Amino acid sequence: MRIAHAGTKRRLLSATHIRPQWALSLAAALTVVGFVAAAQWNGSLGRQEFTTSAQEVLSRQVSALEAEQKQLRAGIADAETKVQDFQTRAAGSQSARDAMQRQLDAARLAAALTAVHGPGVVIEIADSKRIVPPGDNPSNYIVLVDDLRDIVAALWASGAEAISINGERLAATTSIYGVGSSVLVNTAFLSPVFRIEAIGSDGLLERFQNNPAYLSRVSQRISSFGLEFATATADDLKLAAYVGNTAFKWGVPVEQKP
Amino acid sequence: MSRRLAQVSLFGVALLIGLLLVGQLRSQARPRELSTLSPEELSTLIDTLSSRNQQLSAGLADLNEQLRSYRLGESQGDSTLTLQGEDLRRITAFAGLTAVEGQGVLVRVDGSLDAIAVNDLVNELRNASAEAIAVDDVRITARSVAVQGARALQIDGVEIGRSFTITAIGSPDGLFAALNRPGGIVAQLEQFVSATIEVEERKAADGGTLVVPATRVDLAPTVAMPIQ
Repeated sequence: MRIAHAGTKRRLLSATHIRPQWALSLAAALTVVGFVAAAQWNGSLGRQEFTTSAQEVLSRQVSALEAEQKQLRAGIADAETKVQDFQTRAAGSQSARDAMQRQLDAARLAAALTAVHGPGVVIEIADSKRIVPPGDNPSNYIVLVDDLRDIVAALWASGAEAISINGERLAATTSIYGVGSSVLVNTAFLSPVFRIEAIGSDGLLERFQNNPAYLSRVSQRISSFGLEFATATADDLKLAAYVGNTAFKWGVPVEQKP
Repeated sequence: MSRRLAQVSLFGVALLIGLLLVGQLRSQARPRELSTLSPEELSTLIDTLSSRNQQLSAGLADLNEQLRSYRLGESQGDSTLTLQGEDLRRITAFAGLTAVEGQGVLVRVDGSLDAIAVNDLVNELRNASAEAIAVDDVRITARSVAVQGARALQIDGVEIGRSFTITAIGSPDGLFAALNRPGGIVAQLEQFVSATIEVEERKAADGGTLVVPATRVDLAPTVAMPIQ
């Protein structure tokens, strides 16, 4: 009886200790829920405000221009193919035709107008998944146009022979341009994840990773701000041809004097 | 019973926290959707896309004209070698394999620009639709980048001194405006780098055209093979 009494007392004591602990834990957890819910609510409000009125109209214009561009590029790709068909079955002497075809093939290859395959590297870079600390600049945590330019510069300097970003083949007139936080390559508006594919000889990845153009800025941003970054070698990459305007409006080809 | 209730409550709260945190993390991921761009960014994007689409339209019109000529030649049984020769000139000029003459701008640089600054200048000119670019006598091809060499900057293995000239063929007004716009590349470089950058327009009306040389680099790839 005495023992039972002691046991009952212990249970009562422990119950009175446990209840406030549960209550505290629950209160703390609900506080966290409150903060996170408030942040979520504020975020979604911001987004709602963002997609109204003028921005919505402008966004629709951008989408329409992108759709128009898709059609134009498809038209160019189709016309290029038809021109090449005509050239391969062109009339004229066999030897002259073959010589011309060889020159055209070599020029197209040098101009990035031919799809190519070969060994190389794949690099992927995307925005950081870290939560931006209060007071820190959010743009530190996203992939900037400079990051892509540095990666491309390092790849060319490391001996890459052909490069594409998210399928956009780089040619002599290609710019990699930033509009706010968005990126334009050739004529296309690209979003992360950015996938850079480069064809080059053995050791391209090692040369890239040791190239100053990679080491000076982008590799530091990757480690400092946690930009998502991955590299891999590939035995046989396939890169599409450049699709765009290749005719000059302001310049004419001239014979160069020796 | 009360312990079970507490466990269920805690599970529910933990689940709620988890769901909310995932939502919060996703919103922190800053998606690059159009809805996240400011009106100024969207306006710039519209300008850029419109200009690019005009170029694509012009390119498509050229190709369709070329196709008409091929069809006509084929129907008349003519040799199309002349047409192919024209196409070859277009492609070699685009690749940088032949010299190009035309209007444009001359950019005279004097100062300590690093490789990144030179590459940024070239990128700005490309974005402003320059058709052919050379730094001094080095034709810029797809593969050309400025790198820091042992003694000086180099492009395609050729040393570039502290003073150099960039020749760009394209719309003189368009190239000039792109380089000299407020807050643009020239303003930025002059603010952060010890250099003077002068941009001069060269227009045919003023009797001054520019010549950009062909590249001296062999652009034939060694491991990138054409897909037939």
